[in-house]
Amino acid sequence: MTDFLAAAIRIATPLLLAALGGILSERAGVFAVGLEGMMLAGAFAATAGAWLAGSQAVGVLAALLGGALIAAAVAVVAVRYRADNMVTGLAANILALGLTSYLLRIAGGGRPAAIHLNPLPAWPVPGLSQLPVLGPLLFDHPPLTYLAVLLCVVLSWFLARTQAGLTLRATGENPEAVFAAGADPLRVRMLAVVAGGAIAGLGGAVLSLQQVGTFTDGMTGGRGYLALASLIVGRWTPWGAAAACLVFGAAEALELRLQEASVPLSSYVLQMAPYVIALAVLAGMGRSARLPAAIGQALEG
Amino acid sequence: MSDGSAPLAPDATAPSMAAPAEGTRRLVLATSGLPRRILIAVLLSLLAAAGLIALSGHNPVAALAAIAAGAAGSPHQIGVALNKTTPYLLSGAGVALCFRAGIINIGAEGQIAVGGMGTAAVALAWPIADPVLAVVAALLGGALAGAAWAGVATAIHLGRRVHEVLATLLLNFVAWLLVEQALAGPLGQFGAGFLQSKLMPRPTWLPRLPGVDAHPGCLIALAAAALLSFLLWRTRFGFALRVAGSSRPAAAYAGFSLARLTWGAMLLAGALAGLAGGIEVLGVQRRLIDGFSLGFGFKAVTVALLGALEPLAVVPAALFVGFLEAGALSMQRQIGVPSALVSVIEGLTMLFVLAATVRRRP
Repeated sequence: MTDFLAAAIRIATPLLLAALGGILSERAGVFAVGLEGMMLAGAFAATAGAWLAGSQAVGVLAALLGGALIAAAVAVVAVRYRADNMVTGLAANILALGLTSYLLRIAGGGRPAAIHLNPLPAWPVPGLSQLPVLGPLLFDHPPLTYLAVLLCVVLSWFLARTQAGLTLRATGENPEAVFAAGADPLRVRMLAVVAGGAIAGLGGAVLSLQQVGTFTDGMTGGRGYLALASLIVGRWTPWGAAAACLVFGAAEALELRLQEASVPLSSYVLQMAPYVIALAVLAGMGRSARLPAAIGQALEG
Repeated sequence: MSDGSAPLAPDATAPSMAAPAEGTRRLVLATSGLPRRILIAVLLSLLAAAGLIALSGHNPVAALAAIAAGAAGSPHQIGVALNKTTPYLLSGAGVALCFRAGIINIGAEGQIAVGGMGTAAVALAWPIADPVLAVVAALLGGALAGAAWAGVATAIHLGRRVHEVLATLLLNFVAWLLVEQALAGPLGQFGAGFLQSKLMPRPTWLPRLPGVDAHPGCLIALAAAALLSFLLWRTRFGFALRVAGSSRPAAAYAGFSLARLTWGAMLLAGALAGLAGGIEVLGVQRRLIDGFSLGFGFKAVTVALLGALEPLAVVPAALFVGFLEAGALSMQRQIGVPSALVSVIEGLTMLFVLAATVRRRP
């Protein structure tokens, strides 16, 4: 059971980071379809940075940059040039997939470079990690997992309790009011998208740097879209998204176990659940949709 | 925005009930100098690609020449490129029609997959000896399956007021898993070690066109693009679509049913995407294979944008992407520049086209 929960947490971590990045973007009023590309760029940059600099810390910083870079492209095209958010995100995903594969092959002189890094080690919390059951489950994780939880706390506080967070949320609900209050909604959205991209990039680093120790083509494998589904199911709140990510992580962990036990429940049907649940949440909202009111709307200016 | 695209009651044509102006559609394209802007966008992304080629230590001019030679150097290679073009043209033309009406349908990815499944199911379930009947029946099955999948998205969108992009996007993943489920069950070849169906019955195989090594799918796609162009510019339905695309309130005021327009455009696009999946199964793979059309639907969006949402202009756009992909594979074999460059070019072109063509003042 502890194994199962630990697996759920492991699977949920990259999703949560990407979803947190997506929340920043969507609460500011920009759809976060580009999460997949931002994660992938982060995963690649983390591997490349750690490999080139020989330091995992550099890898983590590079992941922030990689995700932010793709997000910057989205921000310029979708916010500054007011293109459709979704289609822009899609384009960014295609670009990130191509660019990371291409650079991986250039680094390897025509073939995918074989990079092997030591995955980030677990940092057991002194004392607490010795607790029975809870110790190994909650206090014996690699650093980026703690960071994900920390970011969840910080982001909740930021969105709910700070002036800047209020401005960000207002930009997603009513940009004219933000403008009238003297802030620049265009700038708020650009910053939110880029910051969200950096956080999503960290989600990619969890995959490459913390869990696998290398980068492979398209290694995010749709997790960016799954993160998008999670943040919808979590109704655009950090803790809601965290709960959704854990449930989806548990579903995936369960699926692996069911396969081993050859239980006749189809893993494909189980994998559909996150998307179907996200659709159900969206459908259930009807008129009282809690989607940020001005999401996807272009700004005048 | 979901308000603007919601189904309108019959009395919604009254001025006081017109949809709120809030539903501004952002994919309305600037009309002046559009071909020039798209051309500049393509050139810019090719320039960026040349920079990336230089980064890999190869000569950009030689690499681009290798792409051209690889795409059009022989009848066989032209055939390969035309086969690659076919699904992009079919699904891209449908996407263009939807975008034109302000319906951001990014569900072609799933509609193609389900269409391939429909074609495979019909071909395997009803063995027909006559090749013409067999192909028509199987492709019809694919088109119907694609339209049905688009219909699910439309029903969720109109019935529950879910943003159409989210409905179509999320259903793509459900569609892929549905195909995998079918391949793991009734449609699959047991013991293949890979998720794939049995070989399609021989009468359903698409023939080769004389001269080039392509199946006739490209001709079907060309006809479909011409048909959509006629529909868009010469019929009442097309006129209504164009009005709805430039102003939803105007369309509602003019008495067009936005719900009916959305159903029409979505089902048509879904049928074309399903047909694209079916043609890929019968003409190229001759099996239903897991992941056979991965990325096709997203490229359909690239192609639609590159073709300025104009069904006939989608033809050169699809040819560009199809030949680029075929040529890049050959370039990788010949001089070793990674063919992943194609995705870079596609992604950049899309971003540049989006930035350069979206109307400045919505």
